[in-house]
Amino acid sequence: MDIKALIAQTSIEQRIEDAIKKSHAVQASLNAMVSFIDPKDQVEKLKHRSKDLPFYGVPVILKDLVNMKDTRTTGSSGILDNYISPYDATITQKLKEAGAIIIGKSSCDTFGMGGTNMTAWTGPVANPYDVSRMSGGSSGGSAVLVASGVVPMAIGTDTGDSIRKPASYNNIVGLKPTYGRISRYGVIPYASSLDHVGVFTRNVKDAALSLEVLAGRDDNDMTSSYNLVEKYSEKLIGDLSGKRIGIIQNVLDSFHNQDTLNQFNELVHKLKTRGAIITPIHLNEDLMHAFLPTYYIIANAEATANHANLDSLRFGVLKEGQTMDETMIQSRTEGFGKLLKKRFVIGSYALFTENQEEVFRKAQKVRRLIVDDIKRVLSEVDVIMAPASTQGAPKFDDASVDQLSSEYLIAENYMALANFSGYPSITVPMGYVEGLPVGVNLTAYAFEEMNLLDIAYGIENTTGLANCIKEVTQ
Amino acid sequence: MKYETVIGIEIHCELKTKTKMFSSAPVSVNMQPNTCVNEIDLGHPGTLPSLNKEAVRLSLMACMALNCEIDPLIKFDRKNYYYSDLPKGFQITQQFYPIGKNGYVDIPTDNGVKHIRINRLHMEEDTAKQYHSGNETWIDFNRAGTPLVEIVSEADIRSAHEAMIYVEKLRNMLVYLGVTDGKMEEGSLRCDINISLREFGAEEFGVKTEIKNLNSISNIEKAIQSEVIRQTELIESKQGVEQATRRYDDVQKTTILMRKKEGSIDYKYFPEPNIPPVLIETDWLHLIRENLPELPDHREKRYMDLGLNAYDAGQLIQNKALSDFFDQLILETSYVKLAANWCLSDILANFTPKQLFEKSYRLKLSEMALMIDALGKQEISSKQAKELFVELLKGAEYNATIKSLNIEQVSDQSVLVQMVEDILNENEQSIIDYHNGKDRAVGFLMGQIMKKSKGQANPVITNQLLLEGLMKRKP
Repeated sequence: MDIKALIAQTSIEQRIEDAIKKSHAVQASLNAMVSFIDPKDQVEKLKHRSKDLPFYGVPVILKDLVNMKDTRTTGSSGILDNYISPYDATITQKLKEAGAIIIGKSSCDTFGMGGTNMTAWTGPVANPYDVSRMSGGSSGGSAVLVASGVVPMAIGTDTGDSIRKPASYNNIVGLKPTYGRISRYGVIPYASSLDHVGVFTRNVKDAALSLEVLAGRDDNDMTSSYNLVEKYSEKLIGDLSGKRIGIIQNVLDSFHNQDTLNQFNELVHKLKTRGAIITPIHLNEDLMHAFLPTYYIIANAEATANHANLDSLRFGVLKEGQTMDETMIQSRTEGFGKLLKKRFVIGSYALFTENQEEVFRKAQKVRRLIVDDIKRVLSEVDVIMAPASTQGAPKFDDASVDQLSSEYLIAENYMALANFSGYPSITVPMGYVEGLPVGVNLTAYAFEEMNLLDIAYGIENTTGLANCIKEVTQ
Repeated sequence: MKYETVIGIEIHCELKTKTKMFSSAPVSVNMQPNTCVNEIDLGHPGTLPSLNKEAVRLSLMACMALNCEIDPLIKFDRKNYYYSDLPKGFQITQQFYPIGKNGYVDIPTDNGVKHIRINRLHMEEDTAKQYHSGNETWIDFNRAGTPLVEIVSEADIRSAHEAMIYVEKLRNMLVYLGVTDGKMEEGSLRCDINISLREFGAEEFGVKTEIKNLNSISNIEKAIQSEVIRQTELIESKQGVEQATRRYDDVQKTTILMRKKEGSIDYKYFPEPNIPPVLIETDWLHLIRENLPELPDHREKRYMDLGLNAYDAGQLIQNKALSDFFDQLILETSYVKLAANWCLSDILANFTPKQLFEKSYRLKLSEMALMIDALGKQEISSKQAKELFVELLKGAEYNATIKSLNIEQVSDQSVLVQMVEDILNENEQSIIDYHNGKDRAVGFLMGQIMKKSKGQANPVITNQLLLEGLMKRKP
């Protein structure tokens, strides 16, 4: 059931009550919620508004990086454990205007910095398809709350693949639009030049509808675009004939999991029969090997400055010392986890005057080369495509990953290409590998959301994997 | 003096905008602490900067007045350091691409005009203000995010006196532009002085110290003088100067060490990712240039062309509010010198700078102009003018005051002829004196007539009638 049908077929009370009940019911097994929000006031305000609103009374969840006035926003961190937002993020306002009812905040890797959701201050989040496995991250909480049927839409953020990877692990749609398409104002950052706001839904049409509501110029975010927002959800056709789909050959070549490859090849075959023009494309392999280091340097350099505001002097958990300096140091020492500290150290290192040219500036140059290379391949096709993960969600205790293998460096991390370039990118369900869902990812040129969504819609029609819900029994 | 003083000056100047550099919170003008702040100024998680267009406009005006090359592509950078007065943990500034560079200001010195080069002018945001009392520190975030420009001179200044003239001139220019209120005592204009000594003729610079946050023109002079003495002694005694940041202590009348160079931190500047480069349109630049307000140098020349002497012209332009007052006044009277005299004496004596600035007085300029005209035409005496002026200050009108003070002039020929005749009859000796070439006699006789008429005789007509009467009585 898509959002439009949900509004038509249920009462507000019904769908809100249902969502809240489920959010509590799955908490013990998934651990996806950080805060529950009493929706009474929001529902009350809705009574005087038009029933034609696109999200009229639809329950939604915000990733715990999104500020909502007078609610707790922790960023899944320790240092902001007591933080009550004094203001609304732009997207929070837009959701309210569209009639959405925000029922809670979901767990994530602290400040979006991670890919497992295991660094969340409230602990790891489980995958509804197998609770001994991870949700993926960083937007893990939002992903599993959509996948397990709690809400039809949840907000995520994506700095490397933090929406598109968990979408793959959870059999749902994960959309990260073009940089500047959705305002970042009021969303706690990881790395400003790579951060994107996006959504999880259970079908492409709902993703398109969400984008209509969230996108648009915001004077509070100077990087937001003036480009007109289209009626994406109404324009979806799903006709694949003549659509040019480039298969990222480098990704497939570094794969080991034959099951996933088979799934993917099967899909490609079906798309051909539907009239899609399939071309293998090759990105520069050397540059692909540089994706991860380039990403880490830029992201962590920006992150170390972005989070310098967290000194607990004005807000946040205060650990008082003898002097102002000592207070700041103690608060930060106790308020940040080990992984965060590691990343801040890497970021600072990259920015030191003696290193900056060789590390940070070089990474920015490499980023430009990467973007040029992506632009090159996208000049010949509508979208580029590859599996969104090499396999289903890993076990919590999985330590088998070889972080220097091509499979890891390329096949597991290539989706950051859409963060380097800011291009729109979407993951949709592809099939099951060893009983676990695996998605397929598509990326298009800047502001080509309409075409991207339409091709994704065609793929969804091909796989039949829309509106998948994995109920979790306690 | 064996050593040459080498000085470069950094000026931080608060811009006169309604809102902050990167947020829509109002800029505080003596408001209650922590009332002019929003989530952006306090560095709350998730906030983003939005560039204030008016701040850019004012900065561009400053660039133009200081003859800077303007970079039309505006970019910002982050300067990273932890301090309790810096909410974000970084300051947004323009490290790599300042909006203006390679400008200059010409200053008058005893040896003629001197060219002081401006290295750069860049935009940034101010920090919060801290107050320390005992063990406690109080922070007022009203100032956090206030738009600033920093103007950095080359090391072209050679004395405390030149430094004073440079800062005063620059301050005055910026005030004329309306870029800042320039109040040093309130911190809206602050100076850091870089100073070193070297032997005359030497090419290399000596080791410099930086004196931070000087907040008055006179302290600039005192600080430099004392630092020159301190550095001279160090060089003479072979101890050498150590590169450091110092501050001037008003009580001890000397500079005090704040921190040494070795302990300085790495600011890890990098481009601000949340502000994409903004291209300034050429049309906008033209518009700003065409509407640039008159600068003090131009105004001084204009005054001298009107016939004022250099001293009066100089005095007037030193005080923009007074000079603006004068400009208004001379729209309505052509007695420019008289108008200038009155401005520099009576106006200055009767109005506070605040009153002049805010135009909060009851005096009507048009009425004052009538008075100056009458004085110029010698229809009234200076003494009468002073009496009149007391009333005009209260908002009275010129003509009504003339009547109420009963200092209306007698211009009736027959009345005046009679008066002249009477006085001449009473002063035979003066008539003889006059014809013996003693011009003083005219003054004496005029005085007598004025006394008799209680000052109401029209001096111009009376003078003419008197001369005629004297000629008739040629012995």
